[in-house]
Amino acid sequence: MKTEMLRGDLVQLVAVDKDSAADGFNRWSRDSGYLRLLDARPSRPSSVKAVIEWIEKDLENPPSDLYWFLIKKLEDNRIIGDISLDGIMWQHGESFVGIGIGERKNWDHGFGTDAMRIILHYAFRELNLYRISLNVFAYNQRAIRTYEKLGFQHEGFQRGVLSREASRWDIHYMGILRPDWLKLTNQQA
Amino acid sequence: MHADMGRNILQGKLVRLTAEQPEVMAKAVSRWNRDSEYTRLLDTVQAELWSKTKMQKWYEDDLESESIDDQFFNIRILGDDRLIGFIGLSDIRWGHGEAWVGIGIGDRVYWGKGYGTDAMQVLLRYAFTELNLYRISLGVFEYNQRAIRSYEKAGFTLEGRERGLLNRDGSRADGLLMGILRPEWERRDK
Repeated sequence: MKTEMLRGDLVQLVAVDKDSAADGFNRWSRDSGYLRLLDARPSRPSSVKAVIEWIEKDLENPPSDLYWFLIKKLEDNRIIGDISLDGIMWQHGESFVGIGIGERKNWDHGFGTDAMRIILHYAFRELNLYRISLNVFAYNQRAIRTYEKLGFQHEGFQRGVLSREASRWDIHYMGILRPDWLKLTNQQA
Repeated sequence: MHADMGRNILQGKLVRLTAEQPEVMAKAVSRWNRDSEYTRLLDTVQAELWSKTKMQKWYEDDLESESIDDQFFNIRILGDDRLIGFIGLSDIRWGHGEAWVGIGIGDRVYWGKGYGTDAMQVLLRYAFTELNLYRISLGVFEYNQRAIRSYEKAGFTLEGRERGLLNRDGSRADGLLMGILRPEWERRDK
């Protein structure tokens, strides 16, 4: 049995400590390039105070459909992003996953892929879910390649949802089912 | 004045969209939710029975926290004025001109008679000509063939299929994603 399941080859998933999270989100949110990959909302930096208030509210009344972690780089113990299973439908064994790697210098090093591997194992082997869904913007080719590599399949795209820089952009829907993940990772059911 | 300016955009051929008091909705919705087939067509959540009091409290709280990102209506039949369901836009993303639509016809006596399709046509006109949105999205379960046909009739296109989204009666069911863009809707309106 794998017991240290929140630690991968490059990163570790750690608790959402409000000070390190607030420091991270405040720094990352200064780059609209990061925000536009992450979210459909208008880009806007988050103050340290706003992030702390948001986390405190969450910790006070933790939603039962959310498992949220920070991503820590093993090499230097820096917090580089966050990842969450959100909107878990326990009765159907299904959840959304969302991930963000905050600083450009940490992109393309495999940190996101490693964090996703950890959370898929957690979702399928700890929470015993059946299906993980995600959506991603069509212009985020780096993320789409990562998700494909992990075994997510394309399930459709919503045409022209986003209006950015005078173009309309699709949102891609992807999903991975437990039987497929077991095969890909050479595991028994 | 443009010819359409005088038209009542909140009324269709069979139904009109209304605003109802919390006690009226609480009574109707707690009655509709007794039918688990209705709730399984409507939502991913488990069938639950809420008392009229609990339902009314929910509607009252909802009024307090009203946001312009959600625009909900109720559906009444023209003629006998019976309250048969609801329809609404949620998570409107004003910057992108996009929203989700949801609809429920609560009483099965009124299924398959075109009321839902008519309400959807009224709502699309509202979304595209009053709110000036660009795109409307919806999700529907694969076993809800009646709804899928109705959405196709209203002009929605199938865009995707979330495999095995639901576990119902021991089988996995897909969630379908559909959408309609304003240029598509404008072409069908003429």
